[in-house]
Amino acid sequence: MKRWQMIKLGLILAVYTIVGCVGLAFVYNSTSKTIAQRQEADLQAGLHEVFPKATGFTPMDKVKSANPNIVFDAAYTADGPSGSLGIAVKVHGPSYGGPTTLIVGVSTDGTITGVKVLENKDTPGLGANAASSTYYVDKATKTTFSGQFAGKKLTDGFVVKKDVIAITSATITSRSITNLVQVVGKAASDALGIGGSSPSPSSQNPSAVLPSADSVRIASKAATSSVPGVSILETLVGTKTGTIVGASAKAKAKSYDGDVTVLVGVSTDGTITGVQILECTDSLGSPILAPEFAQQFAGKKAGAPLEVGTNIEAASGATSSSRGATALVKATADALVKALAGGGL
Amino acid sequence: MKRLFGVFVNGLIIENPLFIIMIGLCSALAVTTTVANGIGMGIAMTFVLVMSEFIISLFRNLIPASIRMPIFLIVIAAFTTIMDLEMKAYFPVLSKSMGVFIPLVVVNCIIMGRVEAYSSKQPVLDSVFDGLGMGIGYTWVLVAISAVRELLGGGTLLGFQVLPSSFSPMIFFILPPGGFLAFSFWMALSNQLRKKILAGRKPEPTQDSCCTLPENGSAEKA
Repeated sequence: MKRWQMIKLGLILAVYTIVGCVGLAFVYNSTSKTIAQRQEADLQAGLHEVFPKATGFTPMDKVKSANPNIVFDAAYTADGPSGSLGIAVKVHGPSYGGPTTLIVGVSTDGTITGVKVLENKDTPGLGANAASSTYYVDKATKTTFSGQFAGKKLTDGFVVKKDVIAITSATITSRSITNLVQVVGKAASDALGIGGSSPSPSSQNPSAVLPSADSVRIASKAATSSVPGVSILETLVGTKTGTIVGASAKAKAKSYDGDVTVLVGVSTDGTITGVQILECTDSLGSPILAPEFAQQFAGKKAGAPLEVGTNIEAASGATSSSRGATALVKATADALVKALAGGGL
Repeated sequence: MKRLFGVFVNGLIIENPLFIIMIGLCSALAVTTTVANGIGMGIAMTFVLVMSEFIISLFRNLIPASIRMPIFLIVIAAFTTIMDLEMKAYFPVLSKSMGVFIPLVVVNCIIMGRVEAYSSKQPVLDSVFDGLGMGIGYTWVLVAISAVRELLGGGTLLGFQVLPSSFSPMIFFILPPGGFLAFSFWMALSNQLRKKILAGRKPEPTQDSCCTLPENGSAEKA
């Protein structure tokens, strides 16, 4: 009896469910086309906003996001009357109140052509002002928050409250959008082969840290560091008319809560000729990627102590990462000096 | 007809779902940062409420008591999804600004509460009018709260600049504490009005015996 009752109830429930689902299927069928059209229209409008002169957009897949939290939904080459104008990327990444979706345009000359906020779920009246066309971060010139990126060079620092004006009371939103724009800019410049952005690995030319060398080759003996946790990935030797003038090494170590990778060049007299911070996966470590931070090392003696706060200035907002990177630069420079002294490179 | 009108009016103030029964508050505070959101959410809610009450009242004798909850949920979820899709297709801006709160209408206790307490026992017409009354009762409160919050927190109404641009917006009202404050002031006002209405009316048992509330306002929550 009881089992029969249960089967009966189950069947009744099934009937209600089926009727509900069939109804939904009809509504879905009638609206799905309109919804898809609307999203497509939104996207096209956004693409034309960042590339007003483009005649069309061709989908492409050459740009890759370097950050796993930031997803590139689609990328397009903006076609102009005479060749490509640049790359437009639809990107989404985390912000204060949920994911934010943007369209970012990067031109072939290494500037941001425009940023359009497609979707933003941050607090209305605060973070949501990022998408507003009447909220001006600069009232005098009527510049909106996303509008200020237009014409910005990829070599800029992209630091909120320095070269990017923040939205009042919405620093987190401002930071996350700026970060999205920067990540797209970097990826697009790599794909375009212009490499203008500051942390861009395309400036990872080893001769950049060994300016006196006219040619660079892989060292026949790799440098090794005695500091625990520091791994030297690659050792190169810089020569000028056949004589060794210095050596450079790419090294990696743990930093605040991620890894930091640096490229260090040392001349034969034990002077640091140049440093590049190639990568930093610390959660708030991106300020140390700014060239200003790495430039401080050039000219310092490898044997002298390098310390944040005394002779190295920390990148603002990233003291721990600055310390991690400085320690790594010091260890790498020491290893290179030792390798140069040992000979056989 | 008079009876139906009574059922309808009941939801506006006397048994307002937000101020008296005090259910469904979460969405009421979360989306009321702009008047457009308030109106949109109110209409969406009213649509789902009326349709669900209509269907469930129509089939009330065909719903076995032991599985009524899942069936209510299926009906409510179906109408919510229909409305969500329609809004995405025809009011994309509104749909985006309300985000997750539209799908969450499914679990809004006002709908579940009214369906369980009223329309599963009452005739179809009464249920539809109850849904309309409750829906409009919900909507006016949302619009009232959001008007205060948008005006003081942004200086605008329905997106138009109302206060002079020299007025510095009180961001407090956009944030959750401002929502609670606006809500409580409107509730005090509404309950004062309710007292006056009840005092001027002869005490008589209402149709809605299951949910008639004692004068001290303790709410029955479904």
